[in-house]
Amino acid sequence: MRIVLAEDNDILRKSLSFFLESKGFTVDQFSDGQEALDAIKENSYDLILTDINMPGGSGMEITQYVRETIGSNIPIIIFTSSGIEQTELDSFDIGANEFIAKPVSPAVLLVRINKLLNSQIK
Amino acid sequence: MNKKELPVPYNEAERLAALKRYNILDTLPEHAFDDATKLVSYICGVPIAHISFIDESRQWFKSEIGIGVSEVPREISFCQYTIMDTKMVEIPDTYLNEQFKDDPNVVDGFKIRFYAGIPITTPDGHNIGTLCAIDQVTKELNDNQRNALAIIAKHVMNHLELGTKHIELNGQKKIAERAVLAKDSFLANMSHEIRTPLNAIIGFTDLLAQTKLDTVQRDYIESVQIAGENLLLIINDILDLSKIESGNLVIESEPFNLKKTLKHVYNLLKVKVPSDVEFNLFLDADMPEMVIGDQGRLNQILVNLTGNALKFTQEGEVTVSVKLVNETDDHYSLKFSVKDTGIGIPENKLKTIFKRFTQAEQSTTRRFGGTGLGLNIVKQLVELQNAEIHVKSREGRGSEFFFVLDYKKADYAEIAAASSLEENLGKLKILLCEDNALNQKLVKNVIYNFGFELDIADNGQAGIELLSKNEYDLILMDLQMPVKDGYQTTEFIRNEMNSHIPIIAMTAHSLVGEQERCYSVGMNAYVPKPFKQAVLLQAIKIVMSKENKEIFKWKPDYSFLDEMSCGDARFKQEMIDLFIEKVPLEITQLEKAFNNNDYETAKKLSHNMKTSMSMFMLDDLTHYLAIIEDEAILGQFTAETADKINVLHNAVIEVVEYFKEQG
Repeated sequence: MRIVLAEDNDILRKSLSFFLESKGFTVDQFSDGQEALDAIKENSYDLILTDINMPGGSGMEITQYVRETIGSNIPIIIFTSSGIEQTELDSFDIGANEFIAKPVSPAVLLVRINKLLNSQIK
Repeated sequence: MNKKELPVPYNEAERLAALKRYNILDTLPEHAFDDATKLVSYICGVPIAHISFIDESRQWFKSEIGIGVSEVPREISFCQYTIMDTKMVEIPDTYLNEQFKDDPNVVDGFKIRFYAGIPITTPDGHNIGTLCAIDQVTKELNDNQRNALAIIAKHVMNHLELGTKHIELNGQKKIAERAVLAKDSFLANMSHEIRTPLNAIIGFTDLLAQTKLDTVQRDYIESVQIAGENLLLIINDILDLSKIESGNLVIESEPFNLKKTLKHVYNLLKVKVPSDVEFNLFLDADMPEMVIGDQGRLNQILVNLTGNALKFTQEGEVTVSVKLVNETDDHYSLKFSVKDTGIGIPENKLKTIFKRFTQAEQSTTRRFGGTGLGLNIVKQLVELQNAEIHVKSREGRGSEFFFVLDYKKADYAEIAAASSLEENLGKLKILLCEDNALNQKLVKNVIYNFGFELDIADNGQAGIELLSKNEYDLILMDLQMPVKDGYQTTEFIRNEMNSHIPIIAMTAHSLVGEQERCYSVGMNAYVPKPFKQAVLLQAIKIVMSKENKEIFKWKPDYSFLDEMSCGDARFKQEMIDLFIEKVPLEITQLEKAFNNNDYETAKKLSHNMKTSMSMFMLDDLTHYLAIIEDEAILGQFTAETADKINVLHNAVIEVVEYFKEQG
């Protein structure tokens, strides 16, 4: 399973990446929204994990591009730290499958990822 | 072109005053208005629509489609005529309209062919603006469209009304907040004024009690001591309440010996037990000795509840018991209960006893005394520790108060740190910075009693001179002094002299936020006046043991990172190194951005740092950064922002030091 991880905070990104890799995923990590998007265009991934606010391009923009321009239904999980309901609604509106509030609990993340990947296979 | 007479409503002055009331001119675009404009365009099927307001000289567009400018001079606007009317003005074809056929907006400019405008009318009847549908071809609206326009105009007006209500409410809220602040600072100042003389009374009474006295004198002195302590309790109650209300009461999380604390409460109250009452302390055999939590507040809760139980029990027994009810990997849940066989509480009063200033009976106050604040404070203190207090009682049979507190388990390093306090201090050389002669005398006697040496400086400047000449083990620092106050002096010692000598703040102030300020300028401990000898000695012990083994106020919690790293120590260290490399740099940049009012950079930095802090579960720091981020988004820093950044700066230094020491 190959995952794109876009998060601009180095500590969180590296930790998440380490955690997911130790659970058997292949993780391509990016701290810049545009770079993440370029990678998504070129490669085939099973899941996208993205922060909202990032230099280069936001998680919203990534989601919108994937859904509208590429037309892919790859599962997308958005991290949010704002805790504002509107963000939550917006992320569903533009086609994200899940949102998880930061700090992201690794256990919760794993459960959600597996749930999304399983429903994808069916 | 003919010079036309311009239309002005007969009550123009009042109309303009009405417009000003809504504070709408030159405001930023708002969704509600833009949506209304879109509706007008959809409903009437026109390419041009707007909501505008007309002041002395111009027509200003709050919201527009197809116009592209923010305002036009009033004399060339169509709408100057519309506000003369009470109903809608509709011109299906401007070419056929005598008044408008030569208008520059028709022959030129917007090439208006169709115009429908409806005045936006205030509840008191002033037409402050218009809602318009415009097209470049001829057109006629049907009745539904006309009705819709009228409804939208009414909605726009309602929205404006709501806006003014909102402004009014905000004003009221500010007034209320200021009143609360004034009350808090009044309480704090009053208690300061009362505590200063009380400091001297209690202190000198303590000293007097240690001299040779005959029986009668001893009896008198003990009475003075009891009265003084009671007065202090009342003042502390009032202060605690004001702190709880202003959200400034912080629940500590330090390792402490639970058994010793309970025995201390027992011994403290044993002297007050009436002769026909049996006073018991039952401790569960499984009860842990050391836990992490707030010792002082537990003490306060139990003394209060037990004190009440003893007060209201003439015969029978009063029992304090502690039971371990649950244990997890990192927490103990302990049930504390205070049970008596006293007068009990009538069933209909059970709910009100926790309310402020109420006791079960008015007559109780006369018979038993008390401020009526105690149980309210107990309730709030229990709730601040995420628990709930319960009471069971039968009138004439007795009462039981109980609550379950969760305490974190103490690990061995922390137990060792706490027990190292017991070590012998030897002969310390202490410097006191204090301007009040009475207090100087009092501290001098107390310090000599402890067997330490003391030098006295009348102000901070004199203290700095003594410190640069002599060697001291620690400094006792008053906060309010002439020449150089305690804060300035501490800043000088820390930043200019680069000295790490322990500094203990001594103050009768108890102002909200003061303790935080002491820590943020670099003091190590805080002793409120009037000080108890034991409290001062404890503070001295703590700072002296800190000298050897630093106890950190901001301590990172690794549990989150541990989960992420799946127990890989090398990876964990890598992340810690990343924090050390990144965050100190970012806090300096954040300070710079704050000083330059560079909101964009401050927003990005605080957002990113927030995540770094949350990785180590530094929740307070995360919270501070979230506030700074919000302020940066709004483009408005407040007076407290500088303080928060200052706290963050010191905290980052401390966290990095902690990492380095651990690593």
